[in-house]
Amino acid sequence: MLDQAFEALKTYDWGMDPKVLQPIDDAIVATHNDAAGRKDLEARLIAALNSAASRAAKDAVCRALKTVGTAAAVPALAALLPNEQLSHMARYALERIPDPEAGAALCAQLPKVSGKLKIGIIASLGVRGADAAATPAGGVFGFFRGADRSGTVPQLSTLLTDPDAAVARAAACALGDIGTPAASQALAAAKPAPGTQVAIADALLACAEQLLAAGQKRDARAVYERLLKNNPSRLVRSAVERGLKNCG
Amino acid sequence: MNEYKTTRRTFLKATGLATVAMGFPTIIPSSARGDATTPPPSERIVMGGIGIGNMGGGDLGAFVNNPAVQYVAVCDVRKNVCNGAKSNVDQHYGNTDCKAYGDFRDLLAHKDLDAVHIATPDHWHAIMIVEACRAGKDVFCQKPETRTLREGALVVAAARRYGRVVSGGSQRVLEDYRGIVRPCWGGELGPIKTINVEVGPLSQPCNLPAENCPADMDWDMWLGPAPWAPYNPQRCDGNFSTSGGSWRSYSDYSGGGMTDWGAHHFGGATFAVDVRELQPTEVNYVVEGDKKYLSYKYPNGIELTHNKPGRGNMQVEGTPGEKREPKPVPQYKAKGGICADFLHCVKTRERPFRDIELAVNTMAVCHLGIIAYALGRSLKWDAAKQQFIGDAEANRFLDRARREPWQL
Repeated sequence: MLDQAFEALKTYDWGMDPKVLQPIDDAIVATHNDAAGRKDLEARLIAALNSAASRAAKDAVCRALKTVGTAAAVPALAALLPNEQLSHMARYALERIPDPEAGAALCAQLPKVSGKLKIGIIASLGVRGADAAATPAGGVFGFFRGADRSGTVPQLSTLLTDPDAAVARAAACALGDIGTPAASQALAAAKPAPGTQVAIADALLACAEQLLAAGQKRDARAVYERLLKNNPSRLVRSAVERGLKNCG
Repeated sequence: MNEYKTTRRTFLKATGLATVAMGFPTIIPSSARGDATTPPPSERIVMGGIGIGNMGGGDLGAFVNNPAVQYVAVCDVRKNVCNGAKSNVDQHYGNTDCKAYGDFRDLLAHKDLDAVHIATPDHWHAIMIVEACRAGKDVFCQKPETRTLREGALVVAAARRYGRVVSGGSQRVLEDYRGIVRPCWGGELGPIKTINVEVGPLSQPCNLPAENCPADMDWDMWLGPAPWAPYNPQRCDGNFSTSGGSWRSYSDYSGGGMTDWGAHHFGGATFAVDVRELQPTEVNYVVEGDKKYLSYKYPNGIELTHNKPGRGNMQVEGTPGEKREPKPVPQYKAKGGICADFLHCVKTRERPFRDIELAVNTMAVCHLGIIAYALGRSLKWDAAKQQFIGDAEANRFLDRARREPWQL
């Protein structure tokens, strides 16, 4: 059955019954505690990704690699990041692969793309957290929250002044997702370009909340007080006042 | 209400002046002037709607016809639907003031809006709730309120950050299960042990063929954060099927019956047994013969089951021979159903009956169940960290990457 599913992938396209690929999903479940079986499955998926299969087929492969992909799948997925048709599905897998190679690949591709693709990679780095390209650590917002060892925060920080306001807003949002003291410092130091003020203020509020949740009340208070100095909108000011009450 | 009251009054005044300046004869209906039962526009809650077909059309009607509301803007990716809704709103007020947008960000930029209702397909909900909160709007969002577990934490954080009133959209939680809720809260059943929910099916992958997209449809915007796929009318049809031929059937946009009806049934069940403020600590995947079902455990020991063989929907098991002190059953804070409850809370700044955090707790039940079924195994859940315990693979299912340029 699994062989037939991989055979079907070669000609799979929009309009075909997705049930022909069900054995791949079944194999994902069946190989949960079978390292050799899982490795073999991943290798076959990587081969399909490197083949001339259709967009629909590679879309399906990326969905499977979201669950079973490891560092071994990263080069094939990373190669798709500059591809306008498949960049999203490459991130669909890379964003959720815990291996640090996945985050490193996203970081490496970031300077090489622009516009929407850049925004997509920024968003994925934000979701992965400060340790996007380092050791997974866990946390509520960032998938791999931990110390800033990977250079993700400095890389995103430089984008806060990007001439493309949409890129700058995405970077602010990602830093808010990361929520570490380094992220909040980068946001606080940024000189907001037109069209980015709301995103930067929101990201700083997100950072302050995460610092509060981590028990770092002094750091949280500093972020809130910094926001007050920037003549915030009434909406942000009231958010700051609520936050300051929570700082005790 | 939001912080833009002065601006809103200015806007309404400006709108009236603009009408005069254009030289049209102006007949002002009582709904626009205000009367003994209708507050004047400057006192009303200014609202707009995003996604106004099917459920959104019903919500629009409920809000437009509420005298506390001045409805000023509609948004839909289907131009004909959007224009039709604008026409209906204009007819209601006897003017042409309702704005029509194809992009929800333009509607949210409307500084005079106090609140929005959202009834798009589910894959859009979280982004729109968060963006609305950032814009200072209160939100009424149709259920299912989220599509992933991570989205739940983020929509609650946004609501709390900006002090917004955000209501989920299941009216059935309070209204459909009174016969179960009353004896549970009344103490007649004694300590509750279990409750079962029957709901389904799960959503499926969609690989429908490409068809010509209607000229009035912004397909890229309909897909939004979901993976790209070619237009097909069945992919985006808003009918209520969860077994094919509608977006509710397909996993890129919906959790299928598990979330669509799950929002109601799990919401009602967790309300009945009073665990609506909690999330489960584990979901057990149980195989009995050829039957598979789920058993969720709550921190207080209550068991919630899904499709347990031999149990009916909303079948509750108490402790025979024991009674508990009765508790007053929470209710809407205003007469007129869930929409009126929301509007009341917009004015008073109370939390609505279906406060977003409670709705998110229900959605967590749905999403945890979907993941357990997908992986075919039991899972332990840390609600505080919003992570699975000791299962890195399950944690990959907490969220999924959004199609650029969408971000959450």
